Amino acid sequence: MPLLAGHRAVGKDMKNTATLPLELHQATENLIENLLASEAFLTYQQSLVAMNSDSEARGLLDLLSTLQAALRHKQNTNSVTQTDVEELRAIQEQVQANAVIMAYSQSQQGAVNFLREINMEISQTLGMDFASLAKQNTC
Amino acid sequence: MNQIDLDDIEVASSSVVRAAARDFAKALAETPQFKAFESTYKALKDDTSALQALSAYQEKTKSLRALLMLNAVSEVDRTELERLKNEYMTRSTVQACAVAESELTALCHETAGMISGAIGLNYAASCGASCCG
Repeated sequence: MPLLAGHRAVGKDMKNTATLPLELHQATENLIENLLASEAFLTYQQSLVAMNSDSEARGLLDLLSTLQAALRHKQNTNSVTQTDVEELRAIQEQVQANAVIMAYSQSQQGAVNFLREINMEISQTLGMDFASLAKQNTC
Repeated sequence: MNQIDLDDIEVASSSVVRAAARDFAKALAETPQFKAFESTYKALKDDTSALQALSAYQEKTKSLRALLMLNAVSEVDRTELERLKNEYMTRSTVQACAVAESELTALCHETAGMISGAIGLNYAASCGASCCG
């Protein structure tokens, strides 16, 4: 049973799986509940909500994404100008100076770091790297 | 904005999350898929003929590395390389281990998918496991 409940808000609802053995399914749900209730993921969730509700932050990220795509396109046609580079750099500086975006970025890195620690815990118990076993083989 | 005050909600300590991680690993280790992989892997490691076949294939590949990179291996060597590879791949211990590994990775992929969907981060990618390595 989950040790802590009521924090499911970061990602989508868990999928119901018909193929997982019951005990493994319960252990997976328990791990998810506890991950979501950890400080790292609560902070990540908090900063995600903050960023999604901040139109300036979202606008800056949208603009950065648009400019990066445009620059990649221009690189393919060898038509990048100094103005293009300066415009991108200016937006990058604005993004880096935006407290909401930086808080989100740092909290996401914190969540990733914590997830890596948890993966090490799983892997040590299992005797093999769980993340490597779990990766999608697409090559 | 719905600001969450971490002081107002129950936070799972690192030790509690780690305990849940160990419980998860133990549950995974108890599955038929994990046990099948463990036993077939051990059988493969104990199969000296399979290991010799693998060693022969690796030695041949090593001796032809430069030519392989240039795509200039002779037909004779290519045939020999293919024969050595087949000799290894068709061993029953190798095939059994490959099937067990495939079933275990499918199970791990499914559980990691559940975790990824719930936490909003790709588990395998976040933990540094790319599709190519």
